[in-house]
Amino acid sequence: MKDSISKPITRVDAPAKISGAAKYIGDIHFENQLFAKTVRSDKPKAKIVSIKTPSLPDGYYIIDKNDIPGINRMRTVVSDHPIFADDEVNYIGQPILLVVGPEREKIYEIVSQIKIEYKDESAVFSIEEAEEKGTVFTEYSYSKGEPEAAFHDAVKIIEDEYHTGLQEHVYLEPQGITGEYKDETMFIYGSMQCPFYVKGAIQDVLGWDSDRIRIIQSITGGAFGGKEEFPSLMACQVAVASLKTKRPVQMIYDRDEDIICSTKRHPSIVHYKAGLGKSNQVIVLNIDIIFDAGAYSELSPVVLQRGMFSATGVYNFPHLSVRGRNFMTNNVPSGAYRGFGAPQTIFGTEMLMHNIAVKLGVDPLKYKINHLIKRGDPTCTGGKIRDEVKLLEIIEKVEKMSGYRRKIERRKKFKGIGVSLFLHGCGFTGKGEATIKGKIILKKNGDTVILKVSSVEMGQGAETCLRKIVAHTLSLPMEKVICETIDTGLIPDSGPTVASRTTMIVGGLLRQASLELKDCWNEANEIEISKTYKHPDFLSWDDDKFVGDAYPTYSWGANVAEVEIDSLTYEINVKKISAVYDVGVPIDEKMLRGQMQGGIVQSIGWATIEVMNSSKGKLAQHNLTDYKIPTSMDVPEIACKFIENPYEFGPFGAKCAGELPSAGAPPAVAAAVSNALGIPIKSIPLTPEYLMEIDKHED
Amino acid sequence: MVEGFRPADLQEALEFMAKHPSIPIAGGTDLMIQKARGFGLKPDFNKPLLFIGHLRELRQISVRNGNIHIGASVLLNELIKNDKIPEALKMAVRQMASPPSRNLATIGGNICNASPAGDTLPYLYAADAFLVLKSSQAERKIPVGKFITGPGKTTLKSDELLTEIIIPDKVFSANYYKKVGTRKGMSLSKASFTGLADIESEKITDIRIAFGSVAPTIVRSREIEASIIGKPVSEIKNAVPEIVKKFAPLIRPIDDARSSAEYRKQVSLRLLENFLMKLT
Amino acid sequence: MKIEFILNDKKRVIQVDPASRLLDILRDDFELTSVKEGCGEGECGACVVLMDGKAVNSCLIPAGLIEGRHIVTMEGFRKTERYKVIEESFLKAGSVQCGFCTPGIVMSTESLLRENPLPSEEEIKEALSGNLCRCTGYNMIFEGIKLAAERGKGLW
Repeated sequence: MKDSISKPITRVDAPAKISGAAKYIGDIHFENQLFAKTVRSDKPKAKIVSIKTPSLPDGYYIIDKNDIPGINRMRTVVSDHPIFADDEVNYIGQPILLVVGPEREKIYEIVSQIKIEYKDESAVFSIEEAEEKGTVFTEYSYSKGEPEAAFHDAVKIIEDEYHTGLQEHVYLEPQGITGEYKDETMFIYGSMQCPFYVKGAIQDVLGWDSDRIRIIQSITGGAFGGKEEFPSLMACQVAVASLKTKRPVQMIYDRDEDIICSTKRHPSIVHYKAGLGKSNQVIVLNIDIIFDAGAYSELSPVVLQRGMFSATGVYNFPHLSVRGRNFMTNNVPSGAYRGFGAPQTIFGTEMLMHNIAVKLGVDPLKYKINHLIKRGDPTCTGGKIRDEVKLLEIIEKVEKMSGYRRKIERRKKFKGIGVSLFLHGCGFTGKGEATIKGKIILKKNGDTVILKVSSVEMGQGAETCLRKIVAHTLSLPMEKVICETIDTGLIPDSGPTVASRTTMIVGGLLRQASLELKDCWNEANEIEISKTYKHPDFLSWDDDKFVGDAYPTYSWGANVAEVEIDSLTYEINVKKISAVYDVGVPIDEKMLRGQMQGGIVQSIGWATIEVMNSSKGKLAQHNLTDYKIPTSMDVPEIACKFIENPYEFGPFGAKCAGELPSAGAPPAVAAAVSNALGIPIKSIPLTPEYLMEIDKHED
Repeated sequence: MVEGFRPADLQEALEFMAKHPSIPIAGGTDLMIQKARGFGLKPDFNKPLLFIGHLRELRQISVRNGNIHIGASVLLNELIKNDKIPEALKMAVRQMASPPSRNLATIGGNICNASPAGDTLPYLYAADAFLVLKSSQAERKIPVGKFITGPGKTTLKSDELLTEIIIPDKVFSANYYKKVGTRKGMSLSKASFTGLADIESEKITDIRIAFGSVAPTIVRSREIEASIIGKPVSEIKNAVPEIVKKFAPLIRPIDDARSSAEYRKQVSLRLLENFLMKLT
Repeated sequence: MKIEFILNDKKRVIQVDPASRLLDILRDDFELTSVKEGCGEGECGACVVLMDGKAVNSCLIPAGLIEGRHIVTMEGFRKTERYKVIEESFLKAGSVQCGFCTPGIVMSTESLLRENPLPSEEEIKEALSGNLCRCTGYNMIFEGIKLAAERGKGLW
């Protein structure tokens, strides 16, 4: 592995982060800066009758919908979220106005004096209620084969329903943005994944040309999807505030506020109807997916799409019909969260396969293996699995690492083992990449190469990874390959930092450009190469009918979880996770191991201890005392390995990676818990309260 | 801006309290959260602050006349490291909060906060701990169970300080502690259980049972304990259902953001049963 | 209230509201921005600093409590040889991702190694239980601390 791209190197961003020298947005003080605090709705659904504000001292301002020169909506997939509430509110925490001024204490005093009179309206609080009332945002469906006829032929029909809950990202750095109107230009600084999303949103809100708007990312302390669309909203608000006050305006959320109003993982209910053939094989599957999108639609349509296209997991079901619906409720809007809808449906499908196998009295892993998709098979949307599928090799490896076969045969009550198989579609869904057409620039300047991309470092290692791809190609030391500042005035739009697309798509463009640069390296002292993404011709996608290749290729994985459950308290102790992944070729084995381990622990949190309930639209857990994420004492031993399976169009053969682990650990843990208790598991989080209850009923 | 006073010794602290209604702060870990207002903002205190964490008189641990005396400002992490502290108390303290908070938080603070989920309390109730409350004029000594009257409520007078916790220095042959939190590290209790017992010549000679987080204050019943004392160990197994039945009405938990009343009750009674079965 | 304390080896005298949080004093008055605010309720550990050599949550400390104490933040600690060892070990082990929790974790590491220069994995887990990390899943931080303990033998 000496010269392999996978050989670990030191992360370029780590020294400043360890020493504490790294400046996050809250650490940067702008001259003459003002602070902003948001006044929010405390009603789940109401008309605003009146807003009474106190008389403001000098230098203090109220910023609301009347200050918006452009459109009062945040630009995203569905641009329906108001920057500031018009005359109605649709969830608790919806922003109504800002109080802006030089002293935090005074701002809080003013906020406490603002009185808003509402007229309550009838609200919808759960997906079930929304389904009853029919408050649908989006509805899609697709099918494969002849599901109706196949159900006719089925010898056995099994119906089941699976539930997953809310999850809060808990990036350690809360959301924060500073806006500065200077020299006829709006500068936005802050913690974010997608500078060009923010730029587009600001354009709409100010109604300005794009050359007067610059978005500059600051060091971003974790995101996981939580800083995909949400920072656009904050950026629009501070931009309007800075335009009005002509001073820099900083808005940093405290944790409570962040949890109350920021986006979450979509809660889901997935209903299955499976038809089994004579050999007990699932020959037909009906999948009905519903997501709680919350009060505004925003990104939810594409989250739902990924959920729908991932819902068959790693299996090839000959006949299939899939329906997906996003429901409007008066809960905080759901949005992007690592895995983007796929972990929800993969959880359901993995547990369905597990539970059917247990019901039939066969080993779940063997049962799953009988359904695996292979190279050359059609995908669920009638595309094609073009690349080699090494699932059997992955399974063999994970069985060996975990001793799965030996352990599952010696089952004892309260001790269990479970396996999950999963995939992730690489890059944007459907025609996403073809639409966004990511651009990159590579510039040689003497003995140095500058790479210009809009993919941000947010903890996942993007900067090191992208520089490494270029340095490795050009045989240059890392310090000779540098990244341009993430400033939309200086970089092209290579697309947002989402969908596990950074390494494969943006890194792929950089690899191509580096190879070209290598060929002409000696021709001049200064050379600039730009590349624009071109969707491979062999991929086709019909966005209306959902037919074709939803993704260019897939990454794959298998997890084995071992758990012990306290027989008195039903607390789960996840003892070990064994994980094997095919992400093509790891660009840096150690960084990737960090991504996988972090994703495993984060998703174990979702599956076990991360409980978030809302009652009448109000979150019961809105601080870190009540919303618990795993601590150092809660993490299992993790064994993590990769198998190489180079992807022709990825840089050095790399595919997608960062979201893959989110889909794997929850069903593995749930299967292990099911194994330990001898009962089917159909819902997460697996709280001791829930387990004690269902175990009692099974007895 | 509130006033702050940092007395040189206990006497000065008590004299200050006699004159000024004030808020004593030893470690501050509970108060600072209760009074927190948000990032970058000062906590919302409305009375002068009296800092007592540094007072030498409140930082001693000693054993005198068969009693362990613990100063109210002794830090939780100091309790864990001190060899005079009973293991059953250490078991509880080790699972409280996290190391950086235990380097600030004090035993006196945990008692005066009077939370139903206060993790030193089940042990202190079970061990028959007494509290010393001092004012500039007087001193009184009362059992911990008489001090705490409800969630966040105590009989502490405005001019009084909790100065010392007195625990009879008695070693039990059975020490049982279980805290049920949401996760292994840094959790508030959903339920907690302390069981202490002595067995001599195959008979239960002493037993103490205390439940945390399942009622407005810690649950302990001397009456039920007395009904167990004197029983031969061999009879315990058969008596378990009866004992559990007697405790059941005393366990009156609530539903909240952390757990459900039903679970708390079930798990508390299961822990009781487990403790009793372990004695046999 | 007038408070005198030692901050990163320098004597400081400040006039403050006694209820002010040490966290704000460090960040706002002394511009020591390695100290982060992640929750404001002692849960996340991003604000951990050393007080008399021990890890403490600076968001929970009112100003009146620091009289006469030695406070060390990363800005002071990063000048030491022990810091260099921790830095190298964290780099080697891949202990850092987004970095927001990292200064607090380094402070907790220093506090642990001072008390226990060769901690077991269980002791490391216990010592870090007040520092949340959402990126790494912790295992590579444990590796970094083990490596620091080995490499820095004799320094603690």
